[in-house]
Amino acid sequence: MRLIARFARENKDNFEIIDVFEQEIKKTQIDKKNPSVKTITDIYPAAIWMERKIKDEFGINFEDSFDERPLIKHEKFPKNIYPMRKNFTQKNIEFSEFEPYQYEEVKGEGVFYVPVGPIHAGIIEPGHFQFSQAGEDMLHIEVRHFYKYRAIEKMCENKTPLEIKKIVERISGNESIAYQICFFDILHQASEIEQSETYKRKTAILLEMERIINHLNDLGFIPNDTGFSPALAFMSQLAEDARRVLAKVTGHRFGFGAINEEMNYDFKPVFEFLNYLEEKMNFFENWIIDIPSLWDRFDTTGTLTKEKAVKYGVVGVGARSSGIKIDRRDNEWYKLHGFEIQLGKKGEVSDRFLQRIKEIKNSIEIIRNCKINNENKKIEFNYFKDGEYYSFTESSIGELFMYINIKNGLIDRFYVRDPSHINWQAFHTCIYKDIIADFPLINKSFDLSYAGNDL
Amino acid sequence: MLRFWKERFKRGIVTENIEIDKELETLRKNLKDKIKKLFAGSLGIRMVDSGSCNACETECNALSNPYYDLERLGIHFVASPRHADVLFVSGVMTMNMYHHVWDAYNQVPNPKWVITLGDCTKDLGIFEKTYAIKGIDLKVDYHIPGCPPTPKDIIKGLIEFLEKIETESKN
Repeated sequence: MRLIARFARENKDNFEIIDVFEQEIKKTQIDKKNPSVKTITDIYPAAIWMERKIKDEFGINFEDSFDERPLIKHEKFPKNIYPMRKNFTQKNIEFSEFEPYQYEEVKGEGVFYVPVGPIHAGIIEPGHFQFSQAGEDMLHIEVRHFYKYRAIEKMCENKTPLEIKKIVERISGNESIAYQICFFDILHQASEIEQSETYKRKTAILLEMERIINHLNDLGFIPNDTGFSPALAFMSQLAEDARRVLAKVTGHRFGFGAINEEMNYDFKPVFEFLNYLEEKMNFFENWIIDIPSLWDRFDTTGTLTKEKAVKYGVVGVGARSSGIKIDRRDNEWYKLHGFEIQLGKKGEVSDRFLQRIKEIKNSIEIIRNCKINNENKKIEFNYFKDGEYYSFTESSIGELFMYINIKNGLIDRFYVRDPSHINWQAFHTCIYKDIIADFPLINKSFDLSYAGNDL
Repeated sequence: MLRFWKERFKRGIVTENIEIDKELETLRKNLKDKIKKLFAGSLGIRMVDSGSCNACETECNALSNPYYDLERLGIHFVASPRHADVLFVSGVMTMNMYHHVWDAYNQVPNPKWVITLGDCTKDLGIFEKTYAIKGIDLKVDYHIPGCPPTPKDIIKGLIEFLEKIETESKN
């Protein structure tokens, strides 16, 4: 049974822990006076970040947990406050005394540490990595994030569903469309409207376009990290072309606001772009396969074994390139529109690289099969029924999970588990055979989000 | 590899002089002159994300793609604040990033300028103030609006910024 998410919410009389597994959802009630519950990290190691997050947010204690350090509360963050509790309504808190964070480190003679971040050398998001090194060899890495923690979940509380639309669009710029689709799926459920075939096709096209853009960018950046910059020049150009097509159709280069009640789009530029893209992709593939020095760096690097990937519940490109069949598009509707699950074998950087090429090709196929007729029906959300709603979307990074609890027409609890939240945790398992110079390569081959992870 | 060079020659140079290039054509000489005069021919920018959604960063990365190729104007994104003349800041400035952003700011040698990027940096954009957000309290010299600003907006913004500091230096 794969663990998807573990999160808490506050009810009137108690706290509730909700465990979302692939097949079922479990709920545990906890006493408010002495909130404590047993950890599940002995079976699901990836639950540790979720539990530490709950502890920081709600002050719920996890018995027998192997890691009790704060997660979202950094050095100067006040430790004695529990901001996700309902009675916490402060908009401003003061910095508290600096309290150093204890890093996981490998100790021994000649072992030294390399801290990287939170501000990195390139133009990327802030996050921190601490390496334990013996010479060039990586012995261990601790990934520490949540520098970008904006408290989105709290921000969305006590608002009507439509009021948070703009916030949801901007949780993570790279996955904006996936977030919007997830959110609109919940809106559909809550107002008991069936999604029309046209709506499904339109969202599928936009989602695949987003996937194509992100994959194209990665296909440039991964070779660039080995020092092979022509690939970046080639691919960043193609990614820009794709982004302009998206802007032409939706009016926004990242598709912010692309999913809405009307969606009266002319998809002609997308269909025209596909032939050009296909031709370029074929050229790129033939060319890149031919460069031995590149594959020398890609092969046997950053191996995420199938066993480890299953243990951590890894999702997305990371999982599929290790041979695990996880894809939220793996359903009747998508199969009917040409979706075929793409799998790799060994989970190396080379597998993840080729995986992206395969997925782009499949995305082209899916878009081609989503023929849009001119029928355009406005969606009308007349009411939102109270209740709990769950939704999943396959973003370009992996499976995205969203939970919304509506109470008296307002959002009582908003929770999102970004695919990165799981995948970042499996990161340390795939670096042991490699040297530190390979790290940027491995990092980019997963291409995880910081903003979505930190929320 | 031969295949690539064939394609490369077939394709030629793609660097666009975007739409603003009609303006840019005249501005470009000025811009280059200005950078030459004010920054000895190269303007170093250090980008710091203080809690954005990554769209602003993606657009800054796009500035290096063959269409925009910002480096041709003598503008570089540098790896360390100590190599920078200008600090680009994006995002809402979270509680956890606050001290790191100030640290980066303090490491930029004088004279230095701060340019904020995107709507989040001004009144948080569409976000709302929460306990985890501190907001930007650096002295901002120029603001480039947009959510996110497109590469074109950023280039335009840089031109205006340079004009601004040139007039200031004259006074």
